[in-house]
Amino acid sequence: MRKTMFLMVALLAATLAFSAAGLAADKEVKIGVLYPLTGGAAAAGRVLRAGAELAAEIANQQMSGIDMDMAKNAGVKSMGGAKIVLIVKDHQGNPQLGADLAKKLIKDDKVAGILGCYHSSVTKTVSAVCERYGVPMINGSSTSPALTTRDFKWFWRTTPHDKWFTKDLFELLIGLTEGKVKGVKAVPRQELNILAAACEKTEWGSHVSEEIKNFAGEYKFELAVNLLYAAKSPDLSSEVQSMIAPKPGAMLFASYASDAILMVKTLKSLKAKPKLIWGQDAGFDKPEFREMGADIEGILTRSVFLPSVARVKKVSGQVNELFKQKNGVDLDGASARSFTGLQTWVYVLEKAGSSDPKAIQKACNEITIPGDQLVVPWAGVKFENVGGETGQNVLGMGLIGQYQMQKDGKIGLEIVYPFNLATADMIYPIKGF
Amino acid sequence: MEALFLAMFKALVAGLLMGLVFALVALGLTIIFGVMDVVNFAHGEFLMVGMYATLLTAPLLGVDPVLTLPFSALVGAGLGVLCYHGLIRHLLRGPTIAQLFGTFGLMLFLRNLALMIMGSEPMIVHQGILVGKSFVVGPGIVLGATKLAAAALSLGAFWGAWWLIDRTKTGKALTATSLDKEAAMYMGISTERVNALAWALGGASVAVAGGLLVNFWPVDPNVGLLFTMIAFATVALGGFGSIKGALVAGVLIGMIVQAPPVWDAMLRLVGSDAAEGFTIHSLKYTFVYLIYFLIMVVRPQGLFGWKQ
Repeated sequence: MRKTMFLMVALLAATLAFSAAGLAADKEVKIGVLYPLTGGAAAAGRVLRAGAELAAEIANQQMSGIDMDMAKNAGVKSMGGAKIVLIVKDHQGNPQLGADLAKKLIKDDKVAGILGCYHSSVTKTVSAVCERYGVPMINGSSTSPALTTRDFKWFWRTTPHDKWFTKDLFELLIGLTEGKVKGVKAVPRQELNILAAACEKTEWGSHVSEEIKNFAGEYKFELAVNLLYAAKSPDLSSEVQSMIAPKPGAMLFASYASDAILMVKTLKSLKAKPKLIWGQDAGFDKPEFREMGADIEGILTRSVFLPSVARVKKVSGQVNELFKQKNGVDLDGASARSFTGLQTWVYVLEKAGSSDPKAIQKACNEITIPGDQLVVPWAGVKFENVGGETGQNVLGMGLIGQYQMQKDGKIGLEIVYPFNLATADMIYPIKGF
Repeated sequence: MEALFLAMFKALVAGLLMGLVFALVALGLTIIFGVMDVVNFAHGEFLMVGMYATLLTAPLLGVDPVLTLPFSALVGAGLGVLCYHGLIRHLLRGPTIAQLFGTFGLMLFLRNLALMIMGSEPMIVHQGILVGKSFVVGPGIVLGATKLAAAALSLGAFWGAWWLIDRTKTGKALTATSLDKEAAMYMGISTERVNALAWALGGASVAVAGGLLVNFWPVDPNVGLLFTMIAFATVALGGFGSIKGALVAGVLIGMIVQAPPVWDAMLRLVGSDAAEGFTIHSLKYTFVYLIYFLIMVVRPQGLFGWKQ
């Protein structure tokens, strides 16, 4: 009898243990994360991964020092405290590999959804897989405008894209003429009216060139030169000669690192005298570009996040401190956006209360995340279908930074746009060469 | 109309300067081909080595990058001799295709070696007596110091090559070997030594070009490809093996790539919507290869080629 009793208790205990394990298994949500962890963009991939992992860590435990709703709970509260589990895969910048990995994540790992992929080309193929399988995908850092013009039902993008960034530039130009820029008196319109642009002849550069042309027309600037040049050209002096000829007030560029450096060096050697130089991120925001030191003082570049945001936004400073402790570097455009991408996943799951794709889809389409929750300086996250775009966050915005000499004698970026977030007086006109 | 003439004059001056730089890059390629009939696909990688040699030794020795050019020349010459004795000499025993694949392999080897040692990030010289300096010589006509120096050095190098080949015994040995290797051997010329000398000269001249270029052009392990393409077009246009041809073709190519601002000025003159056009800049190298292609069809030996 005692033996029977013992067996029954043991059986009950085992059953309870299995049930508990089952419950524990239910209390996690798997998110597939696809980034380039090897190959040419491996450095970016590493910080992207670090950003997403930090967001998951904050979501999975209570953290009193972070002023975010997701830091108040341990796990997704509406799902019984389910923990976020990231399954990270390396797509190597290869669209086909990305698509294969996405299939595996969906079919084998049974993920609730996907975050990624950095390269627009990989995001394109991965989102097509998600669309086919009806699995939600949130993209935090791909900026090709075409991604949200496909009318996809399972794809949402948090980051602003190149069209928005180009618009920001024109808002800054108008702001300069209206005296809205910190430290600069209103500039006569005719001083900036003539523009000259040079963009590399790639899909990205051609698109930026097109956007510059469209916005120049919309904001009524005279785009005297809008040339496309062969990327990685051994010499850019003919391009610069063409740009200098109409004596433009502002020169605009879309170039990667070696071209950006060569362009600035050629501008200097040919004694170009624009009032303002603006680069569409890429080469203008790379460490090797910064090595030019004083030569780039005053040059503007668009960005999505600068460490100086931490000085003007409390929650950014809190997360940046934590990120720096773990990774030894400040948050940058890549890590801040991957953090925001995963954070959006957490808030969406919180709203959905389930990992059911339909519930997540509904939550994505209805969610509004206030700007004060985010590390990036946006008004928030809200996906709307406007202007021919589907699933695009309409509350995002870019930053325009200006290279200025810092107190330590090094060159660094200060925010000059949006005007309310400016961290320093803008240098205008640039000192010239 | 004045703007058009100014644009034309600027293009001529800039084309001449850049053309001389292209010619200097192509000089080594044409010397090696002229003497040995070997097409060196790794020529651009020799340039890359010259760029890194200047970039790394200038801060190490604490001197201006320009002063390290002799060192770059030595590195280039040493690399040329090493490649000749370690690889090319053996390839010469095989069919022509072996030489092609051999130098192609050398290109991949040097490129990946640089990738392993230096990493993929572009690097550039930021300080020096030539860096960022320029001279205004007329209304709107500005000459970059680096290009002026490169152009002057190019002229000097071409004069040196001409003098060596036309006026010295060594040059006669080079010419003899290039005309008839066997006859040269019977005349007591050590063709092995002459071939090694050709590789040393070729390596040294392109490494010096690299040392000058790094003052205004970022170097990364893949930089050689850009200049290999230009050098091949230059040598083919001028005529394989012709030093005079490399000089003339280099300047011609320089003029072609500097021509787009003239086209832009014409567009402005006729009042065309500038924002609609200006794609001609992205096609400037297409024109170079188009002319090269036409020359190949009409005159396969190139403008001054003497080998067919």
